[in-house]
Amino acid sequence: MIHKTSPEVGGMGHSIKRKEDLRFIQGKGNYVDDVRLPGMVYGQLVRSPYAHARLKSVNTDKAKKLPGVLAVITGEDLAKANLAWMPTLSYDKQMVLATGKVLFQSQEVAFVVAEDRYIAADAAELVEVEYEELPVLVDPHKALDPDAPLLREDREQKNNHIFHWEVGDRQATEQVFEKAPVKASVHAFFPRCHPAPLETCGCVADFNRATGRLTVYMTSQAPHAHRTVFALVGGIPENNIRVVSPDIGGGFGNKVPVYPGYVCAIVASLTLGLPVKWIETRSENLQSTGFARDYHMTAEIAADRDGKMQALRVKTLADHGAFNAAAQPTKFPAGLFSICTGSYEYPNAFCEVDGVYTNKAPGGIAYRCSFRVTEAAYLIERVVDVLALELKMDPAELRRKNFIPAAKFPYKSSLGWTYDSGNYEAAMNLALEKIGYRQLRAEQAEKRKKGELMGIGISSFTEIVGAGPAHTFDILGIKMFDSCEIRVHPTGKAMARMGTKSQGQGHETTYAQIVAQELGIPAADVTIEEGDTDTAPYGLGTYASRSTPTSGAATAIAARKIRDKAKKIAAYLLECNENDLEWEPGKFYVKGAPTKAKTIQEIAFAAYTNIPPGLEAGLEAVDYYDPPNLTFPFGTYVCVVDIDKGTGEVKVRRFVAVDDCGNIINPMIVEGQIHGGLTEGLGIAFMQQIDYDESGNVQGGSFMDYLLPTAVETPHWETGKTCTPSPHHPFGAKGVGESPNVGSPAAFVNAVVDALSHLGVKHIDMPITPAKVWKVLQEKGVAA
Amino acid sequence: MALKIEKSFDVGQPVEKVWAFLSDPRKVATCVPGAQITDQVDEKTYKGTIKVKVGPSVTDYSGEVQVVRLDPQNHEIEILGKGQDVRGRGSASMKMTGKLRVLDHGGTEVTSVSEIGVVGILAQMGSRVITEVSNVMFGEFVKRFQAQLEQPAHAGESQAASADVEPIKATTVAWEAAKGLFRGKS
Repeated sequence: MIHKTSPEVGGMGHSIKRKEDLRFIQGKGNYVDDVRLPGMVYGQLVRSPYAHARLKSVNTDKAKKLPGVLAVITGEDLAKANLAWMPTLSYDKQMVLATGKVLFQSQEVAFVVAEDRYIAADAAELVEVEYEELPVLVDPHKALDPDAPLLREDREQKNNHIFHWEVGDRQATEQVFEKAPVKASVHAFFPRCHPAPLETCGCVADFNRATGRLTVYMTSQAPHAHRTVFALVGGIPENNIRVVSPDIGGGFGNKVPVYPGYVCAIVASLTLGLPVKWIETRSENLQSTGFARDYHMTAEIAADRDGKMQALRVKTLADHGAFNAAAQPTKFPAGLFSICTGSYEYPNAFCEVDGVYTNKAPGGIAYRCSFRVTEAAYLIERVVDVLALELKMDPAELRRKNFIPAAKFPYKSSLGWTYDSGNYEAAMNLALEKIGYRQLRAEQAEKRKKGELMGIGISSFTEIVGAGPAHTFDILGIKMFDSCEIRVHPTGKAMARMGTKSQGQGHETTYAQIVAQELGIPAADVTIEEGDTDTAPYGLGTYASRSTPTSGAATAIAARKIRDKAKKIAAYLLECNENDLEWEPGKFYVKGAPTKAKTIQEIAFAAYTNIPPGLEAGLEAVDYYDPPNLTFPFGTYVCVVDIDKGTGEVKVRRFVAVDDCGNIINPMIVEGQIHGGLTEGLGIAFMQQIDYDESGNVQGGSFMDYLLPTAVETPHWETGKTCTPSPHHPFGAKGVGESPNVGSPAAFVNAVVDALSHLGVKHIDMPITPAKVWKVLQEKGVAA
Repeated sequence: MALKIEKSFDVGQPVEKVWAFLSDPRKVATCVPGAQITDQVDEKTYKGTIKVKVGPSVTDYSGEVQVVRLDPQNHEIEILGKGQDVRGRGSASMKMTGKLRVLDHGGTEVTSVSEIGVVGILAQMGSRVITEVSNVMFGEFVKRFQAQLEQPAHAGESQAASADVEPIKATTVAWEAAKGLFRGKS
């Protein structure tokens, strides 16, 4: 039970306004492109127009002669410093600048540095690159064919296979399938999509020859991890590197990897002794930086005739592009995809994933997703609906019948996860009630008689976030703990720093609320700072909904350490025994004598002015929190769509999202996160794909082809919540940032398929564009 | 990106006259917006450039055109062209088959089948844009082709010499594309 603080203190549960918005709404944020240093010069990348080609020559003479050009760096130049390749976060390596050949369209080939951005862009056009085109591999299904072109000549393994990963009991699962009376299956492709953050990637690298220090201002979701990578790759002592991640305009996983542009800017700064700025264009961001998904999945369920599920079998082909540049925990090449059993009890399950190379941009990052959870949630929620069709059973009833019962938590899944807590039926019931499920089904039956197309889609997803426990989770060997350091100043105000990094999540507000909750210092008096590796404690950064489960927990624990010390000081000031003191947020008082009290502000002052004998001065604490388990947020989303039979357009009539993320820090911020994530989910379901033609040309490389939902397309979101706290988190929170992006695609697609299911439609792949629906309507002979 | 474009148009001139024009790449090039023959390598091979402008992106292809097949009996010609953008933005290739047919009233029907392959920045515009660009270019080509054949021989020569090498304008393409949309065709 969380003690509710006063609105003035603004602890947990208060919808206080976001502190950071004051500067954002005035246009006074400080983003990487706002960084302007004396003598700063500009970099521009030269990129390959070919998806697969031998690099015959790179001639930089003309570019170097252009007035204002300071340097042109090529792959061969980097190779001399052993920097032509760099490690990815998935134990693969990738080219910084191409040597030998290029492997995807828009691959980085040379880096031009000039006095201003325009000269750099002009000079980039003067770099003459001679290519010899090679056969292009676009279809991942053909990657392992014997006659497929070999993409990665640098590897010892002479084929395009990256990894095979499997989990679960294959044999037991197969046996169940052999005997199962009912089977359902779906082939679902989760298209390659892109986080497309408002701010593209970029950096300012500033090497100071006098001090030997390198400062890199960069769009980084994980500044400490990047500092360590730069130290390991570049051989610069880590104490001489400072990474500063200033305000970030959205990351969504796109700003986790290290990109060639950063490395080139650093190399250029080291070479020239000048600050070098490199900022991507929108198309560069869409075409070359971390994409997400691109999973070709098959799921099968074995069930009995009553709809009780018995086993789940999943087989997936993962298209990683030219390099495996996914950012994931070491032991999980397919991320946390094995959460694919979802919210259901499966006595048996088996899941296997194969990763392959193709001539596409590298990646496989977690777009607002805890490492492939989105793919998993989409797949299971899709196949459950197919089973409902097979059984002619209501999809809500089928889910209800198979949910892991609330009483069975903590629940160990057949693929090895221990779900911390859940109450799936309660969330679904609330969602169905809010949307008026029964009336909608009646309406649908009426409409079908009249030939109108209306569908209702349900998604009862389970997330797995907050990576993660050190015994299982690391990235490049660094354990996935996270941290917080709090300093309480003499006047009772506080400063706290974390190893995470907000990109719009509202950390400056929510972390302050955690401190307010634990210490009673008003949130307004707590300043939060993240992103500067010189000052913040080490941490792995913000992605995978891990900030609240890790740094949020560390903040509470650090505050509790401060409270323990404050208690000693209070006892000294009140001349009593520590054990006679009671705490309520903001003060210690003597049991039975509430007027004999010392506020946290009085105690803070004493910590610097009237220190008890034998006690250290100051009031600070640091905590590195290693979570004992992951957290498992969940919810049920229900979507209602109407389909225009003339145009194939899908109109989202209503969307109810019931989320359960445990105890909530700031309800307004949670709701904002859900609105944002649902809108992104809408884009993914209906509008977006980074597609490639047969020559490897990007077909979604600008906002002309890669569409973002605007207010026009976005429906009114209706939200609701249930609360099932995490039993192991210090204040019972679970994390919420990704749930709406994870849970919503299945709700949208299920609704569209539901509208067409009586015509024999079982599945439609995303993005469900009007053209795609129109084609189905034509095929089924129902187009108006 | 691969596209196949089939077109036909009529010219009010006898087939032999049209054939004499069509079978000479130097003459045909003067009808292609933005194109220029710069050099003749051998009897069948020419060097040339073509400039294509789509929106802010200008692609300057430089390459070779080769007459692969010339069949004066049946009035058929097959041309293979391949070029790379001079600023390294990609390449394009084209296989064009042209065929003439005598019309009843003494005119000639020209039919062409072009298979176009585009790799690089231009190809990212997608087939919707490229098809429309090709349509506009072809429309302009037909106009010039007809105009040159209608003129006396020496006037045709002089026009060929001062060939208009301006690329097709993006605004034209946008307008044509918009009209195409309203007409309900691609």
